[in-house]
Amino acid sequence: MTGFLTYSFDWSVVWKSLPFFERGIGITVRITVFSIAFSLVLGLIVALVRMTPGPIGMIGFVYVQVFRALSLYVYILFIYFGIAAVLHIDLDPFTAGIVSLTLLNSAYMAEIYRAAIQAIDPGQREAARSLGLGSVSTFATVIFPQAWRIAIPSLVNQFTDIIKDSSVVALIGAGDLMYQTIERVSFYQRPFEFYTAVAAIYLVMVVIVAQLAARLEKRLQRHLA
Amino acid sequence: MIFLDIQYQFDWSVVTDRWRQFAEGAWVDVWVAVLGFGFACVLGLANAMLRTSGVNLFSIPSFLYVQVMRGVPLYVMILWIYFGIANVLGINFTSFQAMIFALALTGSGYTTEIFRAGLVAIDRGQMEAARSIGLSRARTYGHVILPQAFRIVVPPLGNTFIGLLKGATLMSVIAVPDMVFLANELNVTLFTPFEVFAAVAVILVVLVLFFSAFVYVLERRLRIAT
Repeated sequence: MTGFLTYSFDWSVVWKSLPFFERGIGITVRITVFSIAFSLVLGLIVALVRMTPGPIGMIGFVYVQVFRALSLYVYILFIYFGIAAVLHIDLDPFTAGIVSLTLLNSAYMAEIYRAAIQAIDPGQREAARSLGLGSVSTFATVIFPQAWRIAIPSLVNQFTDIIKDSSVVALIGAGDLMYQTIERVSFYQRPFEFYTAVAAIYLVMVVIVAQLAARLEKRLQRHLA
Repeated sequence: MIFLDIQYQFDWSVVTDRWRQFAEGAWVDVWVAVLGFGFACVLGLANAMLRTSGVNLFSIPSFLYVQVMRGVPLYVMILWIYFGIANVLGINFTSFQAMIFALALTGSGYTTEIFRAGLVAIDRGQMEAARSIGLSRARTYGHVILPQAFRIVVPPLGNTFIGLLKGATLMSVIAVPDMVFLANELNVTLFTPFEVFAAVAVILVVLVLFFSAFVYVLERRLRIAT
């Protein structure tokens, strides 16, 4: 350890590690994309269950409350160690990470879908039904296409949380961006340089997705202006 | 049953015999989150004032600060402070301090936006009206602006606290002895992964739902009648 502000920076180790970052980013992106795809689908199912009147809706409500309350780290520990031991299965870190991210974010996305669906005027539904459309085709061709437009910006913002949370899968050795960084830190003993670099990489990924959300929002609301 | 061929021997006594240790571990999560949240509020309020000052010299760095704090994962922040910053400055943080700093910085990105929204949401007419009936600037803030802004910021601040409480469960990565740390230790020594991590999950859900209910009640009580 060096004295106060006598630290000599050496950023060359970061440049030397670019192949590791590249490999890590690839895995992080894959984990993120799979989790996004699965939680988009599961979230919609949960939202529909949640909006069903009666005890079924209650199950959806409890699902959202409980699955939203857990942190990703607790999910990962419980699934990767706990569930895997009980079911006698060998989960790989990659799968455990995707399952954890999907369960957590499906609860958040369910609430986003629900808010969007409830924002659609009930008259739309009544009109579609009175024209003779069944309840399924009313939802699929009238309600959902409109609700989807409302939901997309919030959903995309949720993607940024998935990118950030995915860093936690490094703790079970998923080989993602954070994992590679920690490996490089222990190799070069340069924590400041590497953690600053990885912070910048995550930041860039998050900003890109957030910008995408902002653009989509503008585009989707063009017709309202 | 082919699917549920469970040979796992459940032993819940691992948890029930140590309920005190789990409670103490959970308490560490709560108070570290509370301290992190407190600092996040102070940082956020100061930063929101810079952001709304209308002076570019202050508002632009403040905007960038928010983007950075919200764009960097908490896990990166923790290791960056505990290993990176400590290394550069040549000082040793305790793992508690590092965790509280990390939560404060991450949280301040969110609290800044909440305070900013609260400050800009109060109609300027309120200030003008209060001033024109003779209230001083300080009294206008104290009696007119802040009480209204307070109602706006409390519910989202509560949600930020809940987010930080969930984030606090990461503290075992730098060996702060919280409930997850305890569960990890028990798992390694006794190999009871399901019981110990289920216990942690249940405690976290109960804590989060308790604070969510609290925020919900507060939100209803503070709602401005329309």
